[in-house]
Amino acid sequence: MSAPVILEGSGLTMRFGGLVAMAEVDFTLRKGEILGIIGPNGAGKSTLLNIITGIYVPSSGEVRLSGERLNGQPAHRIVGKGIARTFQSSRLFGDLSVLDNVIIGRHTHMKTGIFDAILRRSKAEAELAEAADIAERLLKAVSRGLYEQRHRPAAELPQADRRRLEIARALASEPKVLLLDEPSSGMDDADTDALMDDIRALCAERPELAMMIIEHDMRLVASLPHRVLVLDYGQKLAEGSYEEVRLIPRVQEAYLGRKATQNAQA
Amino acid sequence: MSVSVTATRRTSGAATALSIVALTEIGSAAFLRQFLLAEDWRVVVGLLGFFAIVLVALQRLPTVEARIEGAFSAQGRFATLLGIAIVLLFPFLLEKSTYALHLLIIAQLYAVLALALNFQLGSANIPNFATGASYGIGAYASALLALNWDVSFWLALPAAAVVATIFGFVLGVPSMRTRDSYLALVTIAFGVVVHQLLNNLEFTGGPNGLVGIPAPELFGHSFASPLVIFGHSLPSQANFYYLSAALVGVSILFAARLHHSRIGLAWNALRADELAARCQGINATWYKVLAFVVDAFLAGFAGTIYAFYVGFISPDNFTFLVSVTIMTMVIAGGMDNTLGVIVGAFLLTMLPEKLRAFSDYRILFFGVTVIAFLMIRPQGIFPQRLRRYGG
Ligand SMILES: Nc1ncnc2c1ncn2[C@@H]1O[C@H](COP(=O)(O)OP(=O)(O)O)[C@@H](O)[C@H]1O
Ligand SMILES: [Mg+2]
Repeated sequence: MSAPVILEGSGLTMRFGGLVAMAEVDFTLRKGEILGIIGPNGAGKSTLLNIITGIYVPSSGEVRLSGERLNGQPAHRIVGKGIARTFQSSRLFGDLSVLDNVIIGRHTHMKTGIFDAILRRSKAEAELAEAADIAERLLKAVSRGLYEQRHRPAAELPQADRRRLEIARALASEPKVLLLDEPSSGMDDADTDALMDDIRALCAERPELAMMIIEHDMRLVASLPHRVLVLDYGQKLAEGSYEEVRLIPRVQEAYLGRKATQNAQA
Repeated sequence: MSVSVTATRRTSGAATALSIVALTEIGSAAFLRQFLLAEDWRVVVGLLGFFAIVLVALQRLPTVEARIEGAFSAQGRFATLLGIAIVLLFPFLLEKSTYALHLLIIAQLYAVLALALNFQLGSANIPNFATGASYGIGAYASALLALNWDVSFWLALPAAAVVATIFGFVLGVPSMRTRDSYLALVTIAFGVVVHQLLNNLEFTGGPNGLVGIPAPELFGHSFASPLVIFGHSLPSQANFYYLSAALVGVSILFAARLHHSRIGLAWNALRADELAARCQGINATWYKVLAFVVDAFLAGFAGTIYAFYVGFISPDNFTFLVSVTIMTMVIAGGMDNTLGVIVGAFLLTMLPEKLRAFSDYRILFFGVTVIAFLMIRPQGIFPQRLRRYGG
């Protein structure tokens, strides 16, 4: 891969009191690349996403998007710069409709302020109608089944559709970088296969989009990412293709363990 | 052939929708009139029982509720026009009862306050126990302007709203730092501080408050004199009835427009999950402060009308209890539902008055009634609805 680097982190360190959740981690992500992030529970994977998206301010180190320094900027501004994410335990707006969830994902592309909303109704309504239009098209593209359910409250969706909706909501902001935190958690094998197909379709449609995927499902890690980064105790253990990384003994010890070793042999 | 069949079906569908809307609105108005004019406690209890039965029926038969809702959204314009007509004609149907008009004015002012609080509590789930304080600040600001500088009501109205809005902004600033449970405490403290200041400051008249606030005038017509329309004379309260009805109308317009915009969506997102909302690009701090500002703005208007209506105000009109009452109206009526909030405000304003026959047991009966309604409709009388999009 020789596309230009879009997102990079250097020397990222995160301390919570005495606990060092992340120590001196560097990473790079290129345009159109999928970077897998693996590591045992508590390794600091979610912490890394939280630093990138501005939820945590790193104790030291920095994150750059196309060269612009991001840390210190609030989470809501970072979305506008082109980084969208999903959450490990899905965080939808449960009492709003599926469609509203995606429309809210377009928040940064809308401009209506308080005076527009009250005094210039037709302008505000036109903007919302346009967002609804785009959201419907996006839902249709992500999943026909989800589109059919667009007027249901998001909380009523089955687990797999909730994950899909979270991805659709993140895509609504038209990101340059998409961060997925354990997208297959809570899914069975069939759902995970469907998810992988969805992600492949997504990449085909948006060749420029860069992705970081935190995953536990080794089938997914083996097939989707171009590169894999292994974290353990907040440190970077290894980085490279899945084929290289899984052979490193320290990685096998630290993370892959018995189950994954079986997978690797299969 | 088939074209004309669908056409007939469509017109008959429209006719059904029109009659459903007309029946619902006229029926509700008739019910309200009977309730207002009822003097015998047995009639009051009977009407409350009837209301409870209607709610049980709606709860049991969601298709009926959906049918009525569908009729209203299909014939929205007709529903609005008929509603306005009913509001305009209503004072003529009250047998010149000044008491009924008075209750309606207070109920409408509370409806405005409840709609104001609904932006925070209903839309964004921000607890605010200071709406009563914003109401008081609006009332005092306008009264002081009128008494000290002879400012007319029509100028005092926007001026007081600006003062209340600034107060709302100041109140909202702690929301930038504190979390929601602490924020509730901060608003309680603000409310208490405002009450204490009004009670102790010299220029607000201390515990005696302000007296002699002059009645508004419009084109030479004083709001203290009877209102004569087409030869019919209505008690002077009718002036304020129409004024407060207009303010309710403006508040409904505010609520509808904000709900159906990027702002309403952002508030709803904050209510559901603040962290996820921030990660969609929503500036949580700004939207919370905005909710405080809008709340105080409308409450300021209501305060001004109240001050000029009763002519004298004292700190005890704007206690912590007032804020709690407004909060109860929003919760019992239905969070984030304009109609529900208004019904909640009307019910909770009129109920204690209508239960005077129970004298000592009045508050007990009041509590039991509210709890009964909440048991029938746990989400409030008219709960929150999903947004609809055209097409
Ligand atoms: N807000 C926080 N406060 C304190 N400790 C935290 C916080 N967030 C994460 N941690 C700790 O940081 C470590 C890494 O957590 P996390 O990044 O969630 O791991 P994972 O790799 O499973 O996603 C864990 O020990 C966790 O307890
Ligand atoms: Mg995690």
